[in-house]
Amino acid sequence: MRVTVNSDKCQGIGMCEERLPELFEIQRGGYAVVLQAEVPEGLEGEVRAAVARCPTGSLSLAD
Amino acid sequence: MTHATPVLARAVPSPSPLSFWAKTGREKDEIYQVLRADHPVSWQPPAEGSMMPQQGDDAGYWAVVRHADVITVSRDPETFSSARGIQMEDVPDDISEAASSFLATDAPRHTHLRRLVSSAFTPRRLRTLEGQLKVEAKTIVDQLIERGDGGDFVRDLSARLPMWTVFTLMGVPESQRLRVAETAAEMVAWADEDVQAGREPAEVLHEALLSLISTGLNLAEERRRNPQDDLLTNLVQAEIDGQRLTDEEISAFFVLLSVGGNDTTRQTTSHAALALTEHRRQREWLMADFDGRIGHAVEEMVRWATPVMTFRRTALRDTVLNGQEISEGDWVVMFYQSANRDETVFDRPWDFDLSRDPNPHVGFGGGGPHFCLGYQLAKTQLRIIFDELLHRVPDFEVADPVRLRSNFIDGITSMPYRLNLR
Repeated sequence: MRVTVNSDKCQGIGMCEERLPELFEIQRGGYAVVLQAEVPEGLEGEVRAAVARCPTGSLSLAD
Repeated sequence: MTHATPVLARAVPSPSPLSFWAKTGREKDEIYQVLRADHPVSWQPPAEGSMMPQQGDDAGYWAVVRHADVITVSRDPETFSSARGIQMEDVPDDISEAASSFLATDAPRHTHLRRLVSSAFTPRRLRTLEGQLKVEAKTIVDQLIERGDGGDFVRDLSARLPMWTVFTLMGVPESQRLRVAETAAEMVAWADEDVQAGREPAEVLHEALLSLISTGLNLAEERRRNPQDDLLTNLVQAEIDGQRLTDEEISAFFVLLSVGGNDTTRQTTSHAALALTEHRRQREWLMADFDGRIGHAVEEMVRWATPVMTFRRTALRDTVLNGQEISEGDWVVMFYQSANRDETVFDRPWDFDLSRDPNPHVGFGGGGPHFCLGYQLAKTQLRIIFDELLHRVPDFEVADPVRLRSNFIDGITSMPYRLNLR
């Protein structure tokens, strides 16, 4: 499973980082960056929740 | 512009009169309930008591009272614009521009400004503030205990940590803090007679705004000359694509922080204290496992209080919302307190239930690009202040809140307390 950030939509709100700091980080550009290309095993559920809860709808799943 | 003139159905109850806003939360919700069930998107006459009555035959707004519709509006900024003002009642243009900063802008300007600010307001940076917040919270409760009964819960507790936080982030010197705090309070209290003291509402707002802007400009200038390790310095130095914030933009952000970052958290603290007094079992439940339960509890405190009651958008095109046709140019007002009592979303919505889970409240907004910038900071402050207060003054009580008259902020201006220390 891979997750990507639409950096145009992202406002750096940080809910994704709050939920999964090992996977998401709001960096100096003011938007989220995905820290690992492949979602670690066991985190798929949390990642799906993060995608659903993103207030700007900036996260997408691939695979 | 074609405009299908909506018919004002007399049977539809209205949150427009001033008298509506003097009601208690429950009383207001009796009206919201009818609207949620029978008129989820209803045309209403202009908000009464406006400092600037809305012009024209089109005057009025669509009242959006359901949780799902508040979210729809919030997440569609291309249809529902913030750039033509975000208050339920009309505010003079110059005030609106200066006071709203990036709150009342759309993409791309909004994106640009918010990015510059949020790049300095990161979760990680805010985490470094936590240690200082705990120290300050301890001092606040020390002083409350030392003072004993007879004070004012709002002045002596609720107002203090949020104010300290904003001032620390923006580097406001000690000598200016009290004056700035009072001025910030006037920014939302324009309709309140005690605050007016003989002045017109617009005058109150104007004076307060000028004062805050001037303070903000001085602070920005000072930081350019003498950079410190604080948020304000990050703001003056922040650069994206070679662009920096102007001093005016920084100053507007300061005004925004003084209201949005200060008043809201204070109000939630006061409302939560009242709820913890009126619902003792909830307090007991929380204290049985404070560290494990405060996370959930804080979300419920925000849902319960929902201090920001309304924000407005303007339709940029003809559209349909929950089956209701909306014309280009129409005002659309979101009622967050109604959304946060939506019985189709929240089980027993009028239960103050600190264990509520899930709790998809919209107290920080319905989503979209304007979602509350300071939401994590707000939750952290609430956690820290109640940690200190509930552990050291476990039997405190508050009562008889004096309420702010406003169609924007659900405010408690003062409230007596009893410490009940053993």
